[in-house]
This record gives sequence, structure tokens and C-alpha cells, in this order.
Amino acid sequence: MEHDMQDFAAEVRRFLDAHAAKAPDRTAFTWGEGDDTMAYFSSLPPEEEREHVRRARDWQRIRHENGFGWITGPPEYGGRGLTPVHDLLYDSIESEYDVADTGTLSVIGLGMIGPTILAHAQPHLKDRWLPAMYRGDAIACQLFSEPGAGSDLASVATRAVRDGGDWVLNGQKVWTSVAQHSQIGLALTRTNPDAPKHRGITAFLVPMDAPGVEVRPLRQMTGGADFNEVFLTDVRVPDDHRLGEIDGGWTVALTTLMNERATVGSEGAGPVAAALSPDRLSALMRATWTWDDRALRARLAELLVDAMATEHLNARALRKLRGGVVPGPEMSVSKLMYGQNLTRAAHFVSDVLGPRVIADTGRWGTYAWSELLLATPALRILGGTEEIMKNILAERVLGLPKEPAVATTKEVRS
Amino acid sequence: MTAIESELRELRSSVREFLEAKSPEEAVRKLMESEPRFDPAVWAQAADQLRLPGLVIPEEYGGDGFGPVELGVVLEEMGRALLCAPFFATVVLAAQALLASGDNAACARHLPGIASGRTTAALAVAEDSGSWDPALISARAVPDGGGAGAWRLSGRKAFVIDGTTADLLLVVARTVAGPSLFAVDRQATGLEAEPMQTLDATRAMARLTFDAVPATLVGSDGAGGRVMAKVLDIATVGLAAEQAGGARRCLEMSADYARTRYQFGRPIGSFQAVKHKCADMLVQVELAEAASREAARSAAEGAPDFPVAAAVAHACCSRAYVFAAMENIQVHGGIGFTWEHPAHLYFRRAKSSQLLFGGPAVYHERLLDRLGI
Ligand SMILES: Cc1cc2nc3c(=O)[nH]c(=O)nc-3n(C[C@H](O)[C@H](O)[C@H](O)COP(=O)(O)OP(=O)(O)OC[C@H]3O[C@@H](n4cnc5c(N)ncnc54)[C@H](O)[C@@H]3O)c2cc1C
Repeated sequence: MEHDMQDFAAEVRRFLDAHAAKAPDRTAFTWGEGDDTMAYFSSLPPEEEREHVRRARDWQRIRHENGFGWITGPPEYGGRGLTPVHDLLYDSIESEYDVADTGTLSVIGLGMIGPTILAHAQPHLKDRWLPAMYRGDAIACQLFSEPGAGSDLASVATRAVRDGGDWVLNGQKVWTSVAQHSQIGLALTRTNPDAPKHRGITAFLVPMDAPGVEVRPLRQMTGGADFNEVFLTDVRVPDDHRLGEIDGGWTVALTTLMNERATVGSEGAGPVAAALSPDRLSALMRATWTWDDRALRARLAELLVDAMATEHLNARALRKLRGGVVPGPEMSVSKLMYGQNLTRAAHFVSDVLGPRVIADTGRWGTYAWSELLLATPALRILGGTEEIMKNILAERVLGLPKEPAVATTKEVRS
Repeated sequence: MTAIESELRELRSSVREFLEAKSPEEAVRKLMESEPRFDPAVWAQAADQLRLPGLVIPEEYGGDGFGPVELGVVLEEMGRALLCAPFFATVVLAAQALLASGDNAACARHLPGIASGRTTAALAVAEDSGSWDPALISARAVPDGGGAGAWRLSGRKAFVIDGTTADLLLVVARTVAGPSLFAVDRQATGLEAEPMQTLDATRAMARLTFDAVPATLVGSDGAGGRVMAKVLDIATVGLAAEQAGGARRCLEMSADYARTRYQFGRPIGSFQAVKHKCADMLVQVELAEAASREAARSAAEGAPDFPVAAAVAHACCSRAYVFAAMENIQVHGGIGFTWEHPAHLYFRRAKSSQLLFGGPAVYHERLLDRLGI
């Protein structure tokens, strides 16, 4: 195993050396030099955004052509058939190189939707979409949340009604990341309003260019628009675009959600590494003459303790994976800590900067932090809110009882 | 699962089994009110059956030569069980000080006795302020004139774990060359030891007074600061393991209680306020275990980041244990505040462990210092 890993690592390096330059280390840096952006969400103007997506696709295609497009995927769909550890190893080596950010494709499409298609779709859908996605040709989005169904995802109300060989979808999805760039979306719909809510849901793969699909950008608090509202009006989807059983969509959703938790924790490595870099944070304290402030120093230490302990936790999960053991609660704990660590870092820095984070003095590395500050609330919400994650830890790991179900109006009436 | 991991599991389960038999709550409660605050018979069994005192003593000195990872496993279990025993003082503090001194003669003289469980030992560093800062040491030693290596030691020490019972005392005192390490025999004339009242009754502490006590220099004159720094790293990682074990136990007690205690016709664990408390405890416990075990690993590998990992483990586990111990009482409600319930024993241990080597203000600065901040 170890030997195989070394060979793989060497192969990865050969590939990356041939196609990319080494990246400057974001954690070791010189104050005042280089890029000081701390943006977690992009907020680029539309043309630049399109250019960004084009570069992401190009890089994904190059990866794919060299056998690194889908490291864990089955060979018949262009995958490499290797383990999650190979995948993680690839990521960690790639992070040393300066390559296009492929988050638009990978976080949701390749990280969450791809595995769901693989597990639940009919063969022709797999043939049609999986190679295209992992080659960078198709981007996928997750059409789960609705105005009335967020944490309580099983309350989705978007209707799908059978019409001959097709289904007709009507409803509204919301907070859909990357929908504006997507070719397909995985939608949860209600197909049986009379069944208990988890049992009346069906999942469909919706071509985003189908008539009746309308994507409207939704501006987020950072100012940009990474997510969208998606309106579905009489959208016709053939029955063979269904994933899983009729009314059995909840099982499909669970596959996506499981992958979501693992993916979210590993996202945004750039700004995350910078925000939690001891060198960067201490340089900031020097530059702002807060170096000696005992209260701030104590907070900095606490922050770093959490960040490093979280890294240790990830390292342990990785080691378990390497030994063929499925990690326990580490992934969920990491996801929770990841949001909290970044939030705490952003607030710590804003206390160090004081007024310099409320208006731009033009000074390097100061107002730039406002972008991270504004992004942090999302990290406690997306992919399952902090509260929902705690419910999961308490119920699934500690075995605490579920909250008693509240009687629905229907049950009360009958 | 690697062979090493299954061996560690075996070690853990045999220690746990031993402690469940020898250190149940009743035994802990009895010992914490007696003198000495440990059961010599149990200590002898720990040595004979499990060879625990010699676990991390090198083989050349009669031990089994295991490393920090195995030590961590044992300490996690001892922390869970609140074992009253001279293990921490003897093995984690005193023996490590001897090893860190690099004084082979002193090691050969004292470590075999420690490894076999016949000798217990203590390390006396802090004085009335409780600080481990070498600059604050005022106990002094002067050459005796009587012979090479013979000194006379004067001054006071405090917070010395197992200081009234240890057979061998290792003492850091100041010479003209700076802080230095000395060995003092329990029977030496001029030495007085009195027990201190302690917040955590399961860990005995003493105040020692030295009045021109004969002492032997261990290691080189003036090297005490370096030895202390090294010992402190090892000791804080050992303590971290103990803290992680105690915190895990608090979490288990809370989760068990939350599943079975009914109020308003529901198990209290179905109330989200309680559920989230338990989840928060779980997060802290997972981080604490990761931090302490990774620090032990990096010590075992001699990794250059060990000092940072040690500082992280100390801070992370201190916080986790205090948090878990407090929330454990809260989850238990009124019963948790009674003397009869074990929750307070963990609270006392958690708080006292957090502050043993100086507390948050000190360990935060240690971490920043190690990061060059
Ligand atoms: C940046 C961003 C990107 C996103 N991208 C996508 C996407 O691509 N696709 C997609 O489908 N969705 C996406 N989402 C939606 C996200 O999954 C939901 O916002 C999230 O699950 C919470 O649902 P909600 O917003 O409806 O909040 P609500 O569920 O209404 O929650 C509001 C508050 O109530 C609390 N709460 C709710 N239920 C409970 C409970 N049982 N116990 C305790 N507290 C509770 C929550 O924790 C929260 O604090 C995205 C969200 C964000 C912020």
C-alpha cells in the first residue's frame, strides 16, 4: 500500500510538473507582497466569471486526459478505479501547484452529484453524463433546497406529475449554487403528497436547457451571485431521467448529503490556509501595532489551537482511510469546526484591524479581510447548518433520542 | 488495522480491565481521603502484572522501552478511571527528568527501581507561585565541599505531586551556573514535607522545605532549564492524554444519562438544548483526542513540530476537559452537584490539570512562542 502510494505520488508530480508551475506558499509569505485577496466566494463580473469557468474546464480536461479526472471512479466511465486515499493524496500534491480553481465543477458536481448518479442513475444516463462531467464538459448543480424546505429537506414541494412516458415538474428551487453554469441539475420533487413526507419524494436529473427551466441569479450578502433561484415551469423530463425508485428519492438524497459533508470540509483551501496561517496573522498584528495586546494574543492562541487540532483530526481521518477504516465522527466534526474556525479567524482579524476593515485605506492585506468576514455566515449554514450537524452528531454518534415528531395538521384533523 | 493499532487496542483493553477491577469509584473515593493517596498493593500489581511503571523506561534500565504513543494509551485509561497512583509523578515527571538530563550514571542508579515499581519518585520545580518558569526558581544549591557531585540544597518547593510519599525527589535548584537538577533521598536530613490541601483530592501535592539537605547533581551544572523545558513538553502531552480520557468519560456519562433520564415525559436527550450540549462535548473530545494522540505520535517520530504539537495538545485538552466536566454536571442537574455523584471528581481533576503547569495565560504564550509569534 505504502509503496503503491509512493509510485502514485511520483506519477502525480510528473504530471503536474509537466503541466503547471509550483504555487507560491500561501501560508509563508511576505507582508505587503502578492495577492491579498481573502474572498471565499468569487464575486467576479460576468465576463471574468465565464473566463474563470472556462479555465476550470480546461484544467479538468487536462487532468482527465492524464488519468486524474476521476481518481476514484470506475474505469468504464473514465475513472481510475483507485481509492479515496489516492484522491486525497492527489489533492494535497496539487495544492502545491498553481492550477486553475475548479471549485465550480468539483465541489457540487464532481463531489456530490457525480457519486449520486453513479449509485442511482440508469445506465444510459451514466454513459451520457458521467464521462462528460469528469472531462469538464458538463457542470452539475444540486436542486434540493426550496423556500419552504431547507434543513427540513424532506418537505420539498416541487411537484412532479406523470404524463405518459414523461414527468412534468413545477416548483421553485432556491440557493442553488452554480446553476447559472450548469448543464444538469439533480432535483428532488414531490410525487406522492399523500405518503409520509420522506416517502413521497422522487429524484430526477434535469437538463438545465429544458424548456421551462429558468435560472435567476440571487445576490448574496457578499455582494456577488454564486447561487440562484431556479424556477421550474411545466418542465418535461422523460421517466428514464429518474434516479432510484418512484417515491424512493430520499435514499438518493442521502447519498448526496453524505458526500456533501465530506466535500464541504475540504473546500476553499486557499483562503482557509491563509486565514489560519500563524505567519500571516502574526505579521498582521505587527503591522497594526497590536503585537503586545495580551487579550488579542490569547485569542490568537485559542484560534490556532482549534485550527491545528482540526488539522490533527483530519490527519487521523486520512490515516484511517489509508488503513481501510471508514472514519467515524471526524468528518462531521471537521465540517462543524471548519465553519467555526474561519468565523473566529475573521472576527479576530477584524478586531485587530478595527476601522481598517470597515473602509478601504488602500493598504495591503487590511480591507481585503472584509470579504472573508462577509462570507463566514454561509459556512455555518451551507451543507447542513451547525444546529443540524449537532443533531446528527448527538443522534447518530451518541445515540441520543430523536425529537418527538410533531403531529401534522392532517393527522390532527383525522 | 495495522499490527501496531491492534497491539494498542490490546494494551488499552488490558489496562481498562485492570482499572475497572482495581480503581472503581469506591476505591478512588476511599484513597482520596487516605494517606498515602494510593494503594501500594495495587501499585505493585500494576508493576508485576502489567509492567506499567517500566512501560516507557528504556530496556537498558530495566523497562520495556515503549514510547509516547503507548504511554498515551495508558494515561487516557488512567484519566478515565481517576486512578490514584504515583504513575504521573514517577514515570511521567521524575523518570523523564532523569532521561532528559542525559546523566547515564543517575539513570542507571534510579531508573531500574522505578521500572520495577519499587521506587516512586517526584519532580519538584514550582515554588509558591506555582510557576514552572526557571527564572522564578529561588531554591539554591551550593557545593558541599565533601566530594564531587555532593551539594547542599536550601529553599522551598510547592505543588510537588506525591511529594510526601516519593522515595526519590528530583529537585530543580539554582546554582551560580543557573537552574540545575538534583536528586534528594526521601530520608535525607533537613528535608521536610507537608501535604497541601488540594482542589483535586485524587492527586496528592506537597510543600517541601530544604534546609541544607545533601543532594546529588544530576546532569550538568546549569542544565536544569533545558531539562525542565523538555520534561514539560513530555509531561503536558502525558497530561493531555489523561485529560482526553477524563473528558471522554464525562461525555459518556452525559450521553448515558441523557438517554435514560425522563422529564416532561421524554428522555432529556431528546431536548435539543441537552442534545447540543452533548454534541458540543463530543466535538471537544474528538479534538482533544486528535490533539493528544497526534502530539504523542510526533514525539515518537521525533518530528520537528513536536514542541508545537505539545503546546496545542496541552491547550486543547485542558479546555476540552474543563468544558466536558462542567457540562457533565449541567446535564445531570441537581444530582450532578452532589458529593455522592462522581461528576465533581472529574470537575476537580479537570480544573486542577488545566492549571497544573500555569494555565491558559501561560500555555497560550508557550504556543505563540513556539510558532515564533
Ligand atoms: C452559500 C450557500 C450555498 C448553498 N448552495 C446550495 C445548493 O447548491 N443546493 C441546495 O439545494 N441548497 C443550497 N444551499 C441551501 C442550504 O442547504 C440551506 O440554506 C440550509 O440547509 C439551511 O436551510 P434554510 O436556509 O432553509 O434554513 P432553515 O432550515 O429555515 O433554518 C433556519 C434556522 O433554523 C435552524 N433549524 C432548522 N431546523 C432545525 C432543527 N431541527 N433543530 C435546530 N435548529 C433548526 C437552522 O439551524 C437555522 O439556524 C446553500 C446555502 C448557502 C448559504
